[in-house]
Amino acid sequence: MVDERTLDLINADIDGELKPEESQELDAILEASADARAMRSELLRLSNLLDNQPAVNPPADLAQHILQQIKLPETAGSFSLSGLFSSFQPATAGLAFAAGLLATVSFYELTPDNSPGFDTAGMVGTMVANPENRGADVADSLSFSEPGVAGTVSLQTGKDVFALEFNLESTETVEIEVAFAEAGLGFGGIAHAVIDNEAADESYEISGGTLRVVNQGRQSFTVFLLNASRNDGGSREINIEVSSAGARVTAGVLRG
Amino acid sequence: MNSNNRDQALIERCQRGDRKALEELVGHYQKPVFNAAYRILGNPDDAADATQVVFMKAFEHLGQYDPKYKFFSWIYRIAVNEAINQLKRGRNQQPLDDTEVAGTRGPDASVEAGDLSREIQEGLMQLTEDYRTVVVLRHFSECSYRQISDILQIPEKTVKSRLYSARQIMKDTLQARGVH
Repeated sequence: MVDERTLDLINADIDGELKPEESQELDAILEASADARAMRSELLRLSNLLDNQPAVNPPADLAQHILQQIKLPETAGSFSLSGLFSSFQPATAGLAFAAGLLATVSFYELTPDNSPGFDTAGMVGTMVANPENRGADVADSLSFSEPGVAGTVSLQTGKDVFALEFNLESTETVEIEVAFAEAGLGFGGIAHAVIDNEAADESYEISGGTLRVVNQGRQSFTVFLLNASRNDGGSREINIEVSSAGARVTAGVLRG
Repeated sequence: MNSNNRDQALIERCQRGDRKALEELVGHYQKPVFNAAYRILGNPDDAADATQVVFMKAFEHLGQYDPKYKFFSWIYRIAVNEAINQLKRGRNQQPLDDTEVAGTRGPDASVEAGDLSREIQEGLMQLTEDYRTVVVLRHFSECSYRQISDILQIPEKTVKSRLYSARQIMKDTLQARGVH
């Protein structure tokens, strides 16, 4: 028979929560009592059995389900592209295209920031291109075709957001500069549709109201620009310059 | 950075709307929360449901989280409460087969190694919720007496009392089933 005090000491010992003076007390009891030793042995075996049970893996998609259900607060100065697109009102032919964009970029929570060196690495996503709607509701566009590089840049405009869609094909590294700050626009993000993912070099950098894109291969991506002063009714001018292999391919202004 | 500082930093980022931080926090805690829920509920599907609810509640009430307490304790408290609430709602009251209740298997019967986990889980389910919870937190979540006390908001003395009694019952139950 093991008394209550001894049981408490044995349990605390098993849990590593025995005080030094209690440890001495338990040692003395164990030395004197075979019952106490047997009890300690049994409880220790049970404890080890429980401790050594392997953790059970949760379902593989559990984290994804959790993440999908949680909405984080939006703080002042931050915005959601999905929110912006809810008020994006392109013409009829552009609706499907906008919906496609919305579906693919809605998980981005972006923060407008024109500060130098703003890291856009986390603001580049993948979308599914919708060729049937390409060109719909285009306010302005720019096309170019030079040896080694060809493409179009088209501008779609909305009340809250402008979308610059780039379709490029190049054998050399292409550098694109998009200057939008003077037009009163802010950077919103990039949705990247990889048509032929053979790009050897790709980067996005924003600094001082200018987005600089470097890439290569056949690609399509959309740059979202925020129309912060949408109520003034004036048109916006976005300067675009495309270079390849160190030489300017084209430069132009898109208006919307 | 220790885990508490890491959690605090992630929570602050979550409160600013940073979903990467949310992914990290969920990544850190989904498995331990799921396992605690599973051991209390005894059913992986219910544990998955409970885990989702736990995170939903935690982030829904993130504004109420007091940073002077550990996030670990806070989310485990939500997990334990949610699991017990599920039990009380009767979603997990699955009657055990007659052949599996304690004592019907002879003490000499051997238990296949693959059945050991099931036997242990069934042994756990024989405990009352209060007892089961402390055993789960101590042995499956590796909490100290102090941490269990914080999570369950009960005195350490009560933690010890419940844990020691629970072990005695489990020991007897498993011995009767030829496991221990």
